[in-house]
Amino acid sequence: MTKAAPKKKVKVHFNPDNVDIAVAPGENLLQAAIAAGVHIYASCGGAGTCGTCKVLIEKGQVETTRTEKLSEEEFQQGLRQACQSRVLTDLTVYVPVESRLEKAVLSREQKRVSEVLAAGWRFKPPLSKFFVELPSPTPEDNTSDLSRLLRGLRQRFNLSNLSVDFEAVKKLAKALRDGNWKVTVTTLVTAAKPRAGDRRRPRVINIEPGDTREKHYSLAFDIGTTTVCGQLLELNRGKVIAEGIAYNGQISYGEDVITRINHCQKPGGLKKLQQAVVTTINGVIKELLARGRVSPDHIGHVMVAGNTTMTQILLGLDPKYLRLTPYTPVANFFPPVEAASLGIKVGEQASLFTFPAVASYVGGDIVSGIVGSGVHQRKTLTFFMDIGTNGEIVIGNSDWMVTASCSAGPAFEGGGIKHGIVATEGAIEEFDIDRSNLEPKVSTIGDAKPKGICGSGLINIVAGLLEAGVIGQNGKFNRDLPTKRIRRGRDGYEYVLSRAPETQIGQDIVITEVDIDNLMRAKAAMYAGCQTLSKSVGIGCADFEQVIIAGAFGNNINIEKSITIGLLPDLPPDKFIFIGNGSLLGARLTSFSTDLLDDARRVAQMMTNFELSENVDFMNNYMAALFLPHTEASAFPTVSKKLARLTRNNPRQRIVI
Amino acid sequence: MAFEVPKTAYSGQIKEIKLGQGDKAVTVGGESSYPFYLFEGEMPHLPRIAMEVYDCPPEEWPEAALEPFAGVTDDPVAWAKKCLSDYGAEMICLQLLSTDPNGLDRGADEAAEVVKKVADAIDVPLIVWGTANHDKDTEVLRKVAELCQDKSLILGPVEEADHKKIGAAAIGYQHTVVASTPIDINLAKQLTILLGNLGVPDELIVMDPTVSGIGYGIEYCYSVMERMRMAALTQQDDKLQFPIICNIAKETWKTKEAKISEAEDPRMGDVKKRGILLEAMSAMAMLLAGGDVLIMRHPEAIKLVREMIAELTKA
Repeated sequence: MTKAAPKKKVKVHFNPDNVDIAVAPGENLLQAAIAAGVHIYASCGGAGTCGTCKVLIEKGQVETTRTEKLSEEEFQQGLRQACQSRVLTDLTVYVPVESRLEKAVLSREQKRVSEVLAAGWRFKPPLSKFFVELPSPTPEDNTSDLSRLLRGLRQRFNLSNLSVDFEAVKKLAKALRDGNWKVTVTTLVTAAKPRAGDRRRPRVINIEPGDTREKHYSLAFDIGTTTVCGQLLELNRGKVIAEGIAYNGQISYGEDVITRINHCQKPGGLKKLQQAVVTTINGVIKELLARGRVSPDHIGHVMVAGNTTMTQILLGLDPKYLRLTPYTPVANFFPPVEAASLGIKVGEQASLFTFPAVASYVGGDIVSGIVGSGVHQRKTLTFFMDIGTNGEIVIGNSDWMVTASCSAGPAFEGGGIKHGIVATEGAIEEFDIDRSNLEPKVSTIGDAKPKGICGSGLINIVAGLLEAGVIGQNGKFNRDLPTKRIRRGRDGYEYVLSRAPETQIGQDIVITEVDIDNLMRAKAAMYAGCQTLSKSVGIGCADFEQVIIAGAFGNNINIEKSITIGLLPDLPPDKFIFIGNGSLLGARLTSFSTDLLDDARRVAQMMTNFELSENVDFMNNYMAALFLPHTEASAFPTVSKKLARLTRNNPRQRIVI
Repeated sequence: MAFEVPKTAYSGQIKEIKLGQGDKAVTVGGESSYPFYLFEGEMPHLPRIAMEVYDCPPEEWPEAALEPFAGVTDDPVAWAKKCLSDYGAEMICLQLLSTDPNGLDRGADEAAEVVKKVADAIDVPLIVWGTANHDKDTEVLRKVAELCQDKSLILGPVEEADHKKIGAAAIGYQHTVVASTPIDINLAKQLTILLGNLGVPDELIVMDPTVSGIGYGIEYCYSVMERMRMAALTQQDDKLQFPIICNIAKETWKTKEAKISEAEDPRMGDVKKRGILLEAMSAMAMLLAGGDVLIMRHPEAIKLVREMIAELTKA
């Protein structure tokens, strides 16, 4: 090409989303997809190293830098890595199911695995609605609309010391007259300072004509690095109306918080990430409101729990210093902000609350989990672990708490796992193996055809393979076993869980040695964190009176299997409680109880953070934990006994020459 | 009351492992205290030194190291015999340098033949050391194990990636394996667990924690070995209660400091003396950290270390 012809835009059509976008020739295909609102999984953030963003070019031409992540066969089929491709002509692109980030999916019923643990709180939402009838103004009583309203509220509800949002004042005159001097006033309180005697000052945030007390809702969100979960709450009765989950749209910019923070340093990067997560949130809200038949104008507030990075990005605050030593957040407590100002599609009356954070890597999601599970209300010595992308742990009770972040990585949410997916329909969750012929038995969430493996499934699979002697304690396959299920794949040795015809994705679902290695690293980080943190406060794992496990990785976690792989300490099963998504639980409960809202603030202040990244002991413990269940067999007596018994009964483990 | 020196309470003991066979077989291990802490426990078997023999003429050795073996470096059998007759070697370590895929890449059959000849020619225990290339070592050491099936060899390095195949051969033909791991107490322990899972009996295992010479991170090796001994002796960690073998000669003689001539850098002093001392001092450091078998090269360095051992264990 010698002539610089004026560049004409070309059209890219994405299936199955059925959306078009016009881009300049030469535009990166992944960028084009993001711009079109098509979410493609790109865990490496577009560096070309993860191979998760494969798409099928059905029509048209792209120019591709081919990496080793694309096999010859895939290349021939027309598959390309979106991040490595530049658009040359008009295109029709198909995004296969395994590359797709699902939008507001998951309408599955959440199995209730545990009752709410927090006890002794009053049902008293921070958001209240008051219906008040006022006398209409007369020549004798021509005081201002606002004075009239405040007087009415004082007389009728003994409400004083109110502050009134200017946005509410703007609506006042019209609302009073439209409602014929009958209006519903929405007030909101924020967390009181822990000092006793501090007087709370409710804010009037909305005034609606007539009686709207029945339309009284809020939203609770857990903004995770990998997934975003939301609930629509009804505040008169304290009910969950609908629940939704979606992949955080930021995944297209990288899988872990560090890559995201780095992306924020690029021009416009922070804005893009902020918009990506807001788009995800809006998708979930749309779904929730549609299912609950609720108007966005009746959402009183949005309660958000997220890790420190997610919180800062959502608020549009540069997270740069979170990743630079000595790791400082912008603030631990953020005042409520107007949700609509962040681009969140709810009425402008709705404030967005974020949970207070403890440190750069121990965020509001953990505070929320602690409050939701009531750890701060009891003397019981508790070990709390949130198994998410980062893996945070807390040890303590009502008197003291210490916490640390373990950098476990995204394996438990399906990240870095070849066929890993979030806990959604079609995710393999249960696994058993026939010891006589090494054939697997799998079952999936929703009993759908298998689509991938979720976090809890991964734990069950690895534990099952270990018990059957298919893998050794080092997580490596026993290659000499008489089964075709173990074979050499593109990423090394693998075990076939489901054959292509049985699956939704039309290809074999496997677990590879690399996957197992990633899971081992993740569980080692969690366990080593537990060991290091408990030793720092002079106790051992055996001292825990209860272990609370939070995480959004499946319907349930199999405690026994989790102990088998060394993720959880070898304690009696009755000490463990699984609460599911703890961050979401806390966000919900604080929407229901002002007391817990206060508690969140207190809990965040009482937690002492330990920085594991600079702890020599942690690294040592981590190395020791990179084994199944652990290098220190004596720390896992029941598992060691079980494995020894299985090995004895299973002479196939021995190799004959 | 008279002052009493406080003593460490030991709860474990290193396993006694017999290496080789016949009259010249040696037993190593058995310590019930830290190295040379004879005032606290026992060291029933003194550390042993295996002299290095290469299966092809070494090209990168400095002159000082070649000198004592002039005339025999192209014949491993003659070389091994010379070590026995001239320098009183109590063990031999045959380094299979020629099998290196990045070097001569000699085949497994040929290499095994050489091992057999050397084994037949000597009566002291024979350590056979591969090139740490997993595929090649698997091929070569399995062949060696089979061809020398009645020789009770010591086969190394056996690493996580090749422990199954080589370990199986060792069980089958009753050779000892050197469980070799990269300077980490946990990895060392994991490998002995894996070998145990495979069915390798304890009496056929010694450990190689990976060592290095002075100036090249020896402190790190020292502290890993020290911790291994602490775990074995004071924390009853039975997966670490194996004798330790240190392949130290290679590490010291390949360094710049052992090779650079006095003319090139007068501050470094006499090159021969320097090489010998580097080897002897590195070896001594390894003994103090818990080494049971040293693989050494220069007869003068070996002499120095023997004298030190005698001195430290004098009644």
